[in-house]
Amino acid sequence: MEKFQQMFLRQLKYILYLLSLYTLGWGFTAYKTFFLSLILGTVISIFMLWSLTRKIDKLGQAVLERKKVRTIGTLSRLALAALAAAVALEYPQYFAIVPVVLGLMTSYIVIIIDFLLQKWKNNGQHA
Amino acid sequence: MNLIAAAIAVGLAALGAGIGNGLIVGRTVEGIARQPELRPVLQTTMFIGVALVEALPIIGVVISFIVMNR
Repeated sequence: MEKFQQMFLRQLKYILYLLSLYTLGWGFTAYKTFFLSLILGTVISIFMLWSLTRKIDKLGQAVLERKKVRTIGTLSRLALAALAAAVALEYPQYFAIVPVVLGLMTSYIVIIIDFLLQKWKNNGQHA
Repeated sequence: MNLIAAAIAVGLAALGAGIGNGLIVGRTVEGIARQPELRPVLQTTMFIGVALVEALPIIGVVISFIVMNR
């Protein structure tokens, strides 16, 4: 289980690095709407990542203990995406919808890149 | 009309996410039940699979909101 937790912390670290870059972009560039939208999407995607990690961990534990798990939280993640879209559409002077969607996809892109990096690292060790 | 379009978009997105996640979780539970010592590897694979499957329905939900508000 530590491996799973370590993976989550590593991915969170990457997302926080990206978030800090977006914040610098918001502070020091003229594209404030773009970077603020990215920040909104990325913050919500951090919640999605945490929710997914927790639910999958619970599911694995429940299978071993022969207990039931009702959901893996898909509806709550879709609702978080809807929340991000609602906020972006409610305040068009501050947020644009396309960067919000890009921000929402941040955690999923980080998951894929992290998986590929780990695979490449492990192949390098075995070779 | 916008409401119907948004409802169809969200419904199909949820259907896709539900079917995809159902298949992934079913196989993962089977794998963990067969070999509990492989739980970390199977959970990691499930994590990546669920992330890939849910990405497009999330975009579908956002598009349905955009359509609803037009």
